[in-house]
Amino acid sequence: MLPDNPHVPDRDLMLAADGELTPRRAAEVRAHLEACWPCRVREDELQSTIAEYVRFHHRSLDSQMPPAAGPRALLKAQLEDREARLAPGGCIHALIPIAAALLIVGVGSLLVYRGATARRSDELLVPRSSITPGETRAVTISDVCMNTGSEGVRNVPVSLRKKVFEEYGIADARPNAYEVDYLITPELGGADSIRNLWPQPYSAVWNAHVKDALEQRLHTLVCSGQVDLARAQREIATDWIGAYKKYFRTTRPL
Amino acid sequence: MAAVPPDSALRLPLLGAAAATGSRNTRIEDDVVALFDRFRAPLFRYLLTFRVGVPDAEEIVQEVFLALFEHLREGKSRANLQGWIFRVAHNLALKNRQRAQREAPARVDAPVDWSPGPEMQAVEQQRHRRLQAVFRALPEQDQCCLSLRAEGLRYREIADVLGISLGAVANSMERSLARLNRADQYAEAGGRTYVAG
Repeated sequence: MLPDNPHVPDRDLMLAADGELTPRRAAEVRAHLEACWPCRVREDELQSTIAEYVRFHHRSLDSQMPPAAGPRALLKAQLEDREARLAPGGCIHALIPIAAALLIVGVGSLLVYRGATARRSDELLVPRSSITPGETRAVTISDVCMNTGSEGVRNVPVSLRKKVFEEYGIADARPNAYEVDYLITPELGGADSIRNLWPQPYSAVWNAHVKDALEQRLHTLVCSGQVDLARAQREIATDWIGAYKKYFRTTRPL
Repeated sequence: MAAVPPDSALRLPLLGAAAATGSRNTRIEDDVVALFDRFRAPLFRYLLTFRVGVPDAEEIVQEVFLALFEHLREGKSRANLQGWIFRVAHNLALKNRQRAQREAPARVDAPVDWSPGPEMQAVEQQRHRRLQAVFRALPEQDQCCLSLRAEGLRYREIADVLGISLGAVANSMERSLARLNRADQYAEAGGRTYVAG
């Protein structure tokens, strides 16, 4: 007698596609599919449903994900901290960051003898408060936290960039040598104002990329309620390098 | 961002072979960061479908990889680290939910934001809304199974993460796929609004 349904049930087609059938049953399904067009069509339909769901899953959720740089740097800082505490010579290891800081200070003092261009680059690790004190716009926590940081880098208009370079007396800025950066990032309520912009060099150790990681970190801390928005704005405006060291628990960029 | 290793299963055995240089913990630290690079996005997506908000998801991901550091430092098993990572994240997400409910019992879980991006074409947006309706109507366990499968976990790993049987995973996947497929066929047949269920 012939079976009621000679075809492979959906469940077995799905398990076969996922490699979850027993070898014996998998061989039976394979042999059936070779001979049966309707089952092959059904298999294609199921595969296409799976593919569509996976595309939907990734596209919908990826757009909500904040950039990885800040969390990655924080994880590294926390791991280094744990390693220093757990190592047999923990005390000696704990001195490594201090030694690194002293090294940075030592190297920093040598930089005093560098040429004028290099000196200018170092000076601009932090903005001049008389020109760029930082400025905010009126925002609430919800305004700030609705923004997941996925909007990408805001473009400063060329005319405003030129004005910033003029203010800082830079007449010969090479393309891509500086990022005309917001002191208080717009993602934390910083204003689109010349009082909130300065030319930050890419070449220095404490450069624009390092500050970007701090901005992402502060955004996460503010939105999880661990740091007050006003405090985050104040700390990044007055001493962004100090804020980086504090929130990444490090003495150097990670 | 650092380059993502092609496969953690290939990367991790190198740990023992590299004993000649660097401290053991430093090498574990490098492995943890490599696994973070590889699994942050899948974990984050899973936590979002589990209705964890973005800031909490970020905190949970950090906790998972700090726990992984401790796990590896104590010399525990390196077998199936992908499953281990998702299981720890799932348990932390459950704790996070319980804590949130204790603090604010009336609080509703953060809804999953599946809103289609502005770049999507009209047809795609329609498809997107259809899938969204089906997904939302699934029981939570089915949503978890489907999300974990979409992140590449095998049935046994899913069963392990959720603490359910292999058969329950297969049943759940069959149910979810049947509903997704039905919605697909309904749309192809010219139906405009699909009522999930």
